[in-house]
Amino acid sequence: MGSGVSDRLDVLDEPAPAAWSTTEDRAPVEQRVRLYLNALGVQDSQETEVLVRRVIERVEFRATLGQLGEPLEVAIEETHRLLDRWLVAELGLESDPDQISAARAAVLGGHVPGWTRRWAGLSEDSLTESIRAVRFQAVPEHAPLTMEPNPIRLCCHRLVRRLAARVLRWLGIRGRHHASAEVQA
Amino acid sequence: MKRLSTIATRHLPRPLYFTLVLLTTVFCLSLLSSAIQDGGLSTLELVLLILYTILMLWISASFWTAAIGFLVLAFQDRGGEGAESASEPTASAETGAFKTALVMPVYNEDPERVFAGLRAMFDSLVATGHSDGFEFFVLSDTREPDIWLQEEQHWRRWTEELGDRVPLFYRNRVENTARKSGNLADFCRDWGGRYRYMIVLDADSIMSGETLVEMVRRMEADRRLALIQVPPVPVNRSSFFARMLQFAGSLYGRLFVAGLAFWQRDTANFWGHNAIIRVRPFADHCGLPKLPGREPFGGDILSHDFVEAALLARAGWKVRLAPDLGGSYEEIPPTLIDYAKRDRRWCQGNLQHARLILAQGFKPLSRLHFAMGVMSYAASPLWLLFLIATGVEAYFKSLQQPEYFFGYNVMPIWPESYVVEMTTVLWVTLVLLFLPKILALVLLALDRDEARRFGGLLKASLSVLIESLLSVLLAPVLMLFQSKFVAAILLRTSVGWPAQQRGDHQTGVLEALGAHGVHTLIAFAVGYVAYVHVPDFFWWFTPVLAGLVLSVPVSILTSRTSLGLRLKEAGLFLTPAETEEPPVLRRLEERLTEPSPPIEAPVGERAFWTRAMMNPGVYALHDALLHDEPQTRRRRHILEGLALQLQDEGEDSLSLREKRALLSHRDGLHLLHTRLWAAPTLEAPPPPANG
Repeated sequence: MGSGVSDRLDVLDEPAPAAWSTTEDRAPVEQRVRLYLNALGVQDSQETEVLVRRVIERVEFRATLGQLGEPLEVAIEETHRLLDRWLVAELGLESDPDQISAARAAVLGGHVPGWTRRWAGLSEDSLTESIRAVRFQAVPEHAPLTMEPNPIRLCCHRLVRRLAARVLRWLGIRGRHHASAEVQA
Repeated sequence: MKRLSTIATRHLPRPLYFTLVLLTTVFCLSLLSSAIQDGGLSTLELVLLILYTILMLWISASFWTAAIGFLVLAFQDRGGEGAESASEPTASAETGAFKTALVMPVYNEDPERVFAGLRAMFDSLVATGHSDGFEFFVLSDTREPDIWLQEEQHWRRWTEELGDRVPLFYRNRVENTARKSGNLADFCRDWGGRYRYMIVLDADSIMSGETLVEMVRRMEADRRLALIQVPPVPVNRSSFFARMLQFAGSLYGRLFVAGLAFWQRDTANFWGHNAIIRVRPFADHCGLPKLPGREPFGGDILSHDFVEAALLARAGWKVRLAPDLGGSYEEIPPTLIDYAKRDRRWCQGNLQHARLILAQGFKPLSRLHFAMGVMSYAASPLWLLFLIATGVEAYFKSLQQPEYFFGYNVMPIWPESYVVEMTTVLWVTLVLLFLPKILALVLLALDRDEARRFGGLLKASLSVLIESLLSVLLAPVLMLFQSKFVAAILLRTSVGWPAQQRGDHQTGVLEALGAHGVHTLIAFAVGYVAYVHVPDFFWWFTPVLAGLVLSVPVSILTSRTSLGLRLKEAGLFLTPAETEEPPVLRRLEERLTEPSPPIEAPVGERAFWTRAMMNPGVYALHDALLHDEPQTRRRRHILEGLALQLQDEGEDSLSLREKRALLSHRDGLHLLHTRLWAAPTLEAPPPPANG
């Protein structure tokens, strides 16, 4: 076993990340979630508090299931998941990844005013239409055409081989199936 | 009488042109052969004659194209009979029943320039009032993650600004199979059925709205027309080198283009961009096969445009050049070294066409296009061989002592002098090379308005003089560059597909020494040998040697933008695009000066693409532009491994392909975004996504 592999195996002996139990453990995670929410566009402190609380609840739930892993990573994942779930609910989607992605791009692109309030559950106004109105149509509907490689018959390509094949065929040694010089794909 | 005229117009040009070319070549050849054949023909002399014949064919073909172009333009100008003019009513081009796509294949190009160019064309198109039926399509083959993300942001910005007025579509290919031709072919396979025409643009192409509309109108007017190539005029560069080429391209280029259109008729060529193509026949006939064998002569067809034009012509479609259509522009390499680099890429593609010259089924003129493409690069090593052979021949001649007395003759027999013949050969060659420049000036003298657009006849003449002197200095340098490229390709060294450096930048001393140091050394070595052993030849050879000896300073000097701009202020090398800047170019300038909102990304030492991926807005848009695909455990593991490697060892530990893998799959992207945000120490986070 090379030293590179044994070095990597050393990681297995490292102590596991701190358990999710104390307030001190939670503080950096909360801090990171706040930062992330801010980057998502959640500026209002009331909205932030609501959403942070929900994310932390989900992280704690994962901890009780023993699925905590890296707390910071789980917190970011859960924030993301919270957003996706809200979008699915808001738009009545059926977990279509393309539609969820488009909706996420719409809100994070700043095209839907007031979405953070709605996400935090502090607004009753539906944003379904506003989100659907933002279309990210990067390409039009498919309108395919067939485009096959066209043969180009090169002159003198494998001339010797072709001549030999012809002679052999003439002598009755080989069949008539020998390849032509046509260049296909 | 009219019928006779029609027949003459249709059938006369090509026989006339080829007869002139052949007669000129035979005349020059007879002069040279009479000059060198004293006492039989040696092997070396035979080689000299063969080389000279090939080169003279090449030069006289070029000369007669320009000369015919001169006559065409002079006649049109005087008679006021322009061909179909771009200013004709364009109402018939109003579409609705069909759509035209403006497709711009890009590969790691500057996104600012790409989208600014498209915006300028959009503005120009809207100004015509005929923008309905046009759609823009950016066909990205970009591999660099940073540029890919920027392209998406520019696309988003533009679609936000424009709404549904003129759709702008964007797609980045997962695999850049078969490069540019594959990119276009994939476009046809996916969306070709949506469009009747596509106007193919290059990343540095600019076309005016009037020209775009007129191209569609002409295609609609002739249902057998598959392609119209509108010759692009070089513009927008500031360096001395580029301004000189822009001037030459604008002044002499129109002669050549008019001449080409005269004899090529309906079997013209495709130059790869600034052309409109009927999509269905293109899809039916222009799918390119891979050539048998390995690169550089086998594999993908690199210079696809010539082959596509030949395939269309083979299928009975018309391919035309439109010399009368203006409003078509392109940008050129800013320095001599960049120009040579571009040649390196083009050289392989053109030499590959040697295999197609005799392929079955192509029209004779298409074969000629292939041959001319090959010659545009093969001419350099042939000139080099010709010079070497001439030097060796001169050396052998110098060894011969003249004998004045033969046999019992009392009177001396003086050796025959061939100075007159040799001088005539030289002068004829020079005339063929330089007369087109004078003809271009004559055209200016015939048209005062046009002369004014070139800065006036006097300044244009001075510019031609300077350009001619500099082209004498640059020609041997390009000859050595191209000879090296041809040799490398013949030795089966393939080229990559490097993106072009298009913006103005200047050549430094080290760069110039690296590129031209060998040229200078060769010049000194050859000059010394020639001076010592064949002094007579040395003096004939000095123009070539001077170009090589001065290559380093000339390369540096001509790359200077300050010099180019100073000459512009002095009224030298002015072009119509500079004196009467077309609105579409002005729009481009304005668009480029508009502040482009940067992608908000945290400041840090990481590469731009990883920092940009921390921005939830950038991440979400990129994610939305990817296609969903079924998840596999194997892929997930690979992507996790890459994300970990990125975290632990940094971006430099990943290859370009691995970086693209992370960005090309939604699960990889999600991993990347999450891991970056979950890093124990966070770089300064980006501002809010929608802030």
